[in-house]
Amino acid sequence: MRSAVQARDEGVASFRTRLFTAIMVIVVTLTALGFYLAQRKVTADAERNLQENFQAEISSLHKVEELRHAALAERCNILAAKPRIHAAIEDNAIDLLYPSAKDELRDLMEGDEPPPEQAARSLHARFYRFLDSTGAVIKPPNTYDVGELDPKTEAQLALSRLPDTQQIGYIRESSEADRGTIDEVIAVPIFSSYTGDVISALVIGFKPLELEEKNTEVGMRSGVWVNGHLHLPSLPKSAQASLSKKIASSVANSDREQDNFRVNVDGAPQLLFYKRLNPGSLFPAAYEICVYPLAYSMAQLHRLRWQIGGAGALLLLGGFIASHVVALRFSAPVKKLALDSEENRAQRKRAEAALASTTQELERSTRYSADASHQLKSPVAVLRIGLETLLTHEGFKQEVYEELSALLHQTHRLTGVIDDLLLLSRVDAGHLQIAPTPVNLSQLVDEWLDDLSALPDSPDVKIEKEFAAGLFVAGEKRYTSLIVQNLLENARKYNRPGGLIRVSASRAGGTRNVVLSVGNTGRTIPPGENIFERFHHRSTPSAASGHGIGLNLARELARLHGGDLCLVRSENDWTEFQVRFPAADGVNAVA
Amino acid sequence: MRLRGLLWFNAVFSIMPVALLAGAVVEGRVELSKSHSAPVQAKRYEIVTKGGVLSTQPPLAVVYLDGAFPHPASVPTKEVTQKDLTFVPALLPIRVGTRVEFPNLDDTYHNIFSYSPAKRFDLGRYRAEERPIPAEVFDKPGLITLRCDIHEHMRGLILVLNTSYFVMTDTDGHFRLNGLPAGRYKLKAWIDSRTTREKPVELKDGQTLHVDFP
Repeated sequence: MRSAVQARDEGVASFRTRLFTAIMVIVVTLTALGFYLAQRKVTADAERNLQENFQAEISSLHKVEELRHAALAERCNILAAKPRIHAAIEDNAIDLLYPSAKDELRDLMEGDEPPPEQAARSLHARFYRFLDSTGAVIKPPNTYDVGELDPKTEAQLALSRLPDTQQIGYIRESSEADRGTIDEVIAVPIFSSYTGDVISALVIGFKPLELEEKNTEVGMRSGVWVNGHLHLPSLPKSAQASLSKKIASSVANSDREQDNFRVNVDGAPQLLFYKRLNPGSLFPAAYEICVYPLAYSMAQLHRLRWQIGGAGALLLLGGFIASHVVALRFSAPVKKLALDSEENRAQRKRAEAALASTTQELERSTRYSADASHQLKSPVAVLRIGLETLLTHEGFKQEVYEELSALLHQTHRLTGVIDDLLLLSRVDAGHLQIAPTPVNLSQLVDEWLDDLSALPDSPDVKIEKEFAAGLFVAGEKRYTSLIVQNLLENARKYNRPGGLIRVSASRAGGTRNVVLSVGNTGRTIPPGENIFERFHHRSTPSAASGHGIGLNLARELARLHGGDLCLVRSENDWTEFQVRFPAADGVNAVA
Repeated sequence: MRLRGLLWFNAVFSIMPVALLAGAVVEGRVELSKSHSAPVQAKRYEIVTKGGVLSTQPPLAVVYLDGAFPHPASVPTKEVTQKDLTFVPALLPIRVGTRVEFPNLDDTYHNIFSYSPAKRFDLGRYRAEERPIPAEVFDKPGLITLRCDIHEHMRGLILVLNTSYFVMTDTDGHFRLNGLPAGRYKLKAWIDSRTTREKPVELKDGQTLHVDFP
């Protein structure tokens, strides 16, 4: 029993554990999924935001640049179409080229340099050069008028061939030791007025537009990467060099004109965007570079991680509680079921044991009854047969015959008492079952009344019958008969000479019962006397004999029938018993 | 005073050889490049460029006798006017040393200049009322491209020759050179800035030689 309880408890516990584990797994999975998705979303959002930022910056820059380039190109084209410049090139007067250009470009070159904050916006040219038919730079007679350039920088202006459209380029002046400057150059072709061929090109250098560093809260830094060099003055030189290498490899490995990748600058993660500034140009590819620190988005991500982690933990806690509750709720019925089944099992066992013992007892009792019946009845039968044999003898005195006859009567009585006792013992043991069949009560009463009147010592009593023929009750005939017999015998036995027995039976109004009343004249029963007690004997001696169990047995049997037996009244020379039987309506007629 | 006398003398001298000295005559036809536009009636000639070559439109050629001739004492002053944003004439053959005036007949400024190796000059901006009329003396043989700094499309040509014996063909290419000195020379036909054809000729006084340039 102990191990069974243990096993049951273990079963319930394991069920709970499994349920909780399942809920845990779900919650953890959801949290992890939430983590993953949120992280991805944040990262993607951050990158998209920065990308948009970059694109917006670059597109606004490009719009300005385009306008500027258009304006510059228009001016350059006008310059390039100037008759003197044409004359110098076409009429083989190269020596006059720069002097002529000096006049023509005077308004572009002359004047003080605008203040730095306006430098990028103005169309002020820093320098200009002409290219010859091979694309090489035509050396100016003096560099003062055309803007000074060191030879290395000047060489960058050369093109592999003369362009037939406007070309944008970016060159790096490395004259200053620590930080170079970037110049934006526009090359416009000069077409021969004779042939329409490109005979030269005018290259004009400007200060480039720079992205305004207005996104200070984002911390964006921008610069230009050209020809393997990164020009991003706000970064330290070493960082520039390492970034430059990364950009170079990225540019080399990708044919896209714009892209982005993550870099580390001074240990801080940054997102680097680049976009080609001069797509399709004959000049070396130049890229606008924007570096955004990811610290902000990292912090955001960090914060979000904490939030999600907290939420996950809360969810986990909630899941824990919920799973506990659910498990409890789920496991309670299971536990109950287990308990119930346990109880059922115990009950069944008990019942089985009881049944076994009852069966045993029944068997024993039946055997006992049979034994008792045999043991008791046999001597009585022997006694009776002996008495009857004696009676057949002749030659005894008349008194002897009377005595023998009385003894014989006593043996009959003894047999009746034994039968009653055996029956009563069975009733007491609960072994007696009524198998109800319809019993004709009217007929039964009639038969017994006939028998009574036939009895030799019956006093002179009048019998009144008040019942209809064919009143059926539900009962077992021999027991029903015993009840009727007992009542009628008593009514006769305790009557006075010249008395009256009234037997009435009727269907009780409104019920499914049949009530049989047996009343008789004669001495009444004193109040307070329990006549239904076993082996009860009337306190007042009388001639009537009884062994004291008849009424008790009758009542027990009536109750077994589902009815009852009671004393209705006993006064004024009238004692009346009433027995109630269930009517036989609901019982299938057998006979 | 002296200048005026010189001019007069020059004028007389330049007419003299043709009118009085009966020299040799060369006549013939120069095969001109095909003209695509309606030509003859157009009195206005323009300098056009085709494939980097300057020529007149409609096509005209200059036929001249090349050789070492003594410098004439004086050469007459010639004139290239600017009218309706073109040079008139579009092509002017002159003797080395000729002074050419560039009167502006338009209502607008012109700025005639040349970067040509044979003569670089820049007359600056001037209007019709400008006096004296801007002029240049061309003392080196060669082809001079005239341009206007203000009107980039304007082109004019001055062909500066070592000789006084030259003539412009008509639009059919016919030419006739009178009063040529006897001797062996090269007769040249300038057709465009790239093309000058030549043929050796032996001239005798009183003879008319027929030379065609294919």
